[in-house]
Amino acid sequence: MSEPARRRKQNKDKAFFDYTMLFIVLFLLCFGLVMLYSVSSYESSLNFGDSSYYLRKQAQSTLVGLVLMFVVMMIDYHIWRRFAIPAYVVSVILVLLVLTPLGYEVNGAKRWLNIGVSVQPAEAAKVGMIIFFSSHICRIGKNVQTLKGVVKTLLLGVPISVLVLEVTENLSSAIIIFGIIFMMVFVSTPNYKEYFLLAAGLFTVAAIFVILVQKGVLTSEQSYRFGRIEAWLNPEAFSGTTGFQTLQALYAIGSGEVFGKGLGQSMQKLGFVPEAQNDMVFSIICEELGLFGAFMVLLMFMLLIWRFLVVANNAEDMFGALIVVGVMAHISLQVILNVAVVTNTIPNTGITLPFISYGGSAVVFLLIEIGLVFSVSRRIRLRNPGN
Amino acid sequence: MQKKLTVLFLLILVAFIGLSVRLYAINRDNGEEYKKQVLSQQEYDSVTLPAKRGEIVDRNGTKIAVSQKVYNIVIDSKTLNGNEGKYLEPTLDALYDTPVDFLYSRDELRNFITSNPTSQYRIVAKKQEYDAISPLMEKIDDKVTYPDIKGVWLENTYQRTYPYGSLACDVIGFVQGDNEGAYGLEEYYNSTLNGTDGREYGYLNDDENLERTIKAPDNGRTLVTSIDVNIQSIVEKHILAFNEEHQDEYREGAGSRNTGVIIMNPNTGEILAMASYPVFDLNDPRNTSGLDIEVSEEYTTRGDIDIDITDEQGGDETDESVSGNSVTAPAGTGQEEGEEGEEDEESKPEGPKTYEEAYEDAKMEALNGLWKNFCVSSTYEPGSTYKPFTMAAGLEEGILKGNEYFNCSGVKEVGDHKIHCNNRFGHGELSFSGALEQSCNVAFMDMGAMIGKSTFMKYNKLYNFGLKTNIDLTGEAVTNTLVFDVNTMVPTDLAISSFGQGFNVTMIQMAAGFCSLINGGYYYQPHIVTKILNDDGATVSNIEPRVLKQTISTETSDKMVELCNNVVSEGTGRSARPAGYRIGGKTGTAEKYPRKSGNYVVSFMGFAPADDPQIVIYTVIDTPNVASQPHASYATALTRDILTEVLPYMHVFMTEELSEEEKAELDEAALGFARSSNNTLSENAVVSANAIEKPEEPEEESVIVFEEDAVKPEIKTDPETGYPIDPTTGELLDPNTGQPVDPTVSDLE
Repeated sequence: MSEPARRRKQNKDKAFFDYTMLFIVLFLLCFGLVMLYSVSSYESSLNFGDSSYYLRKQAQSTLVGLVLMFVVMMIDYHIWRRFAIPAYVVSVILVLLVLTPLGYEVNGAKRWLNIGVSVQPAEAAKVGMIIFFSSHICRIGKNVQTLKGVVKTLLLGVPISVLVLEVTENLSSAIIIFGIIFMMVFVSTPNYKEYFLLAAGLFTVAAIFVILVQKGVLTSEQSYRFGRIEAWLNPEAFSGTTGFQTLQALYAIGSGEVFGKGLGQSMQKLGFVPEAQNDMVFSIICEELGLFGAFMVLLMFMLLIWRFLVVANNAEDMFGALIVVGVMAHISLQVILNVAVVTNTIPNTGITLPFISYGGSAVVFLLIEIGLVFSVSRRIRLRNPGN
Repeated sequence: MQKKLTVLFLLILVAFIGLSVRLYAINRDNGEEYKKQVLSQQEYDSVTLPAKRGEIVDRNGTKIAVSQKVYNIVIDSKTLNGNEGKYLEPTLDALYDTPVDFLYSRDELRNFITSNPTSQYRIVAKKQEYDAISPLMEKIDDKVTYPDIKGVWLENTYQRTYPYGSLACDVIGFVQGDNEGAYGLEEYYNSTLNGTDGREYGYLNDDENLERTIKAPDNGRTLVTSIDVNIQSIVEKHILAFNEEHQDEYREGAGSRNTGVIIMNPNTGEILAMASYPVFDLNDPRNTSGLDIEVSEEYTTRGDIDIDITDEQGGDETDESVSGNSVTAPAGTGQEEGEEGEEDEESKPEGPKTYEEAYEDAKMEALNGLWKNFCVSSTYEPGSTYKPFTMAAGLEEGILKGNEYFNCSGVKEVGDHKIHCNNRFGHGELSFSGALEQSCNVAFMDMGAMIGKSTFMKYNKLYNFGLKTNIDLTGEAVTNTLVFDVNTMVPTDLAISSFGQGFNVTMIQMAAGFCSLINGGYYYQPHIVTKILNDDGATVSNIEPRVLKQTISTETSDKMVELCNNVVSEGTGRSARPAGYRIGGKTGTAEKYPRKSGNYVVSFMGFAPADDPQIVIYTVIDTPNVASQPHASYATALTRDILTEVLPYMHVFMTEELSEEEKAELDEAALGFARSSNNTLSENAVVSANAIEKPEEPEEESVIVFEEDAVKPEIKTDPETGYPIDPTTGELLDPNTGQPVDPTVSDLE
């Protein structure tokens, strides 16, 4: 809050622009590309005979994303309110399109759509839901503060989450989508008890599953997800199979020490941590840059979230604030879950690290979200003009 | 809302801090352990990069033994099972589209991969040539078109091949197992031919970074031999023709027990050709299809163990008494040894074998016999081809002048023995030259007596008999116990030695010694390898002809050339002369042990051309498969057939006029050669073989007959080995040393 104030003093007539956030985003993007190259060059030269294969694809997506970010930034975000219902409908349709011949499989999971460019509908749905629920919560106004309103709003998020879970078999995206909605509702209502009860309830259900797996009642034969819980509980016992990725990531983290082996010096990326450029990129950051590097990355994310907080608090209206909260929820959830998976704090589920992990759709839609946040930030009306 | 937002932010912050603590905890609690884990799972394992075994080429650079780069297809089940089995079928498709012989069927391999998910190394196809596996290689490399081919790699190695198959098989030898040479040059020069394998290995540098280094293999050296592939094939063709002609003629089996021919350059000691019969395919040395495997009677069926094998031993002894030939075992020594011999009896009876074991043993024995180089590993009594050596010793010492006359009455009494000449009616009066021409045993016994045993044995040793020639081949027989000891030699021994009986030699000893008789007296060490080249073809070492000693003077040598020329022009060696050439030489017909069994080693030692010897040829036929063996004409005819082709090939000009008969014969041979030029080698050989004249007048030479020995009547000989049996112990004694010998070790078998 001090910063806009200072800026106002210096450039009274200039519109507010959050350079801090822009710097953080650009830093994370560049850092992400550097790390991506370091992590993926070995595997990509092995598989494609070109060490920069992943780097080039990611750089292209990032450029597209930056252009789209700029476009979205220039558009008044209020327009999106009109597209709230279509956003939901389009999200559902996109997810369902995966079942048509347009959908295709990568690494055994059918999560992608080929519509000229390859798109992951779950990523689009996250943006869609942020817009839809911002609009929805604004529309029902005070009603959202009643228990009925909360339940109704949350229930609205269930169909898309279930679709993402069932159609694309993507538990992590379903969790994140539902998490975004949950946080948005949480922020827009004053009470706590219900949320803590709900959170406690979800936690209990999860704990029951974990205990059942531990007791051997539920096994990997029933669902691969139970297998992942088994591996989470005891990665060493499944070091050859389901626990392999987690264990190798832990080795990478543990071998990094304080300052790491140095950029590019990872041993674990040489075929030991599978798909290191995707979900496990953080483990290689820990190995190459050490705890120091890892903390710095977390700090950058924290700063970014702090910028979201600032923008949300100063947003022109409720709709803008909720959009920013949604984006904040999205990015923070994804960072937390990703780091938690890499450190084997929670069972393994495929979650990418924003801006750094390899993934074209993810970075494009993330930058669109950032564009939305910038759009909101640009319209901040400075309070106390005389001060 | 701002409040709730701040709470949310704080919650997120708490989560971030929690995760940071978790990161720190992992490093603190497990850092060291995980660090070691990371280091331990790096690939330090070294991969051997095989060195290429050197080639063996003939004197003109023709490759006789080469090593070809071949590939093993290896699969890694662990990788193949990855990604939920998605790689399995595409990889199997790629594998089984490749036109190679797999060790497993597709289903077997699939079963193996799924049931051994941790296996990372399994060879599924061995020693495939590049052409066959190149499509697979391309698919493995093309990650874009075939992203699902995983867990297959190609391991390269070398395969030894012999482009000429059985050619010079005894000289070359073969390679078994892990590049271990067996027999011949392959074994003798094994370490030279084998390079040093390279390695690819990983190590941690100072910064604990893994580095991989390649130490390139040092390929083996190439041997340039003095063998001439063309001469070698001419020789082998005629040996084969002879043996096929006499196949099953008198008894069932090959045309001779063994036939050996050596052609060498007398002026350098280089071997141009060395062959024996039977031969084997170097590319398939363990093929026993052409072998007669005789399983000895000494086996039992399982359970029937208490078979009394001593019966046979007893039976042998009674059989012996009939043949009762006198032997050359020095009196006295046999008796001494006999006393100790008794303990040895115990070691003899091994446990009775089953048929399978007996068959395996017999098979291995047959194979070893097949692989053995007859020309260097087998010993035999040389017979009359030794006569020039006796003569040269006498001339060199001045004991013989060359103008002596000898009178042969057909028999000479030496000691207690009456030793017959080959011509029982006697040759009558013979000149010095005539004694060699007619190969008169009596004349040579006279000469031997004149020379005396110490001088005779001094020359015997000078000619390198009893010593190794140190030719660069494995398995050269040790003959030091197979020649007489001058201290224990009795007059009878000297008498029979003078015409080449009673002691054993190898072919290479005879050929190398004879070279010195006709080349001016220089004894060259016989050798096959003339040059060693490195992988790039640069000479690493040159093996120059090595004169070891002077055996006789040049004057004596010149005289020997003249005398040997007379043998071919006037005497017993006439039938060895190829049409159009003058050659010199000496025939030999040695009676084998046991005497009087009708088994002979017939031979011819010759050189060409007569006035300027460029090659020495030594032909030995052990036990020709004919009704009446003692005819050197089998050897001379074989020699003539070989020389008829070899001399023109070597650009030796004809010096003699051809008779009409010879012309017709040569034309026929040439025609036959042309006619069958499209046919196989053996067919060729048969055509030439038909041209061999049947010997008209069998010359009875060197048939030595010993009278019954009144002093030692009870000494018997073993019919198989020809060794005497000690009357007190029943053991076999070596005829030359009187030492008890192992009856299984036989010289000619």
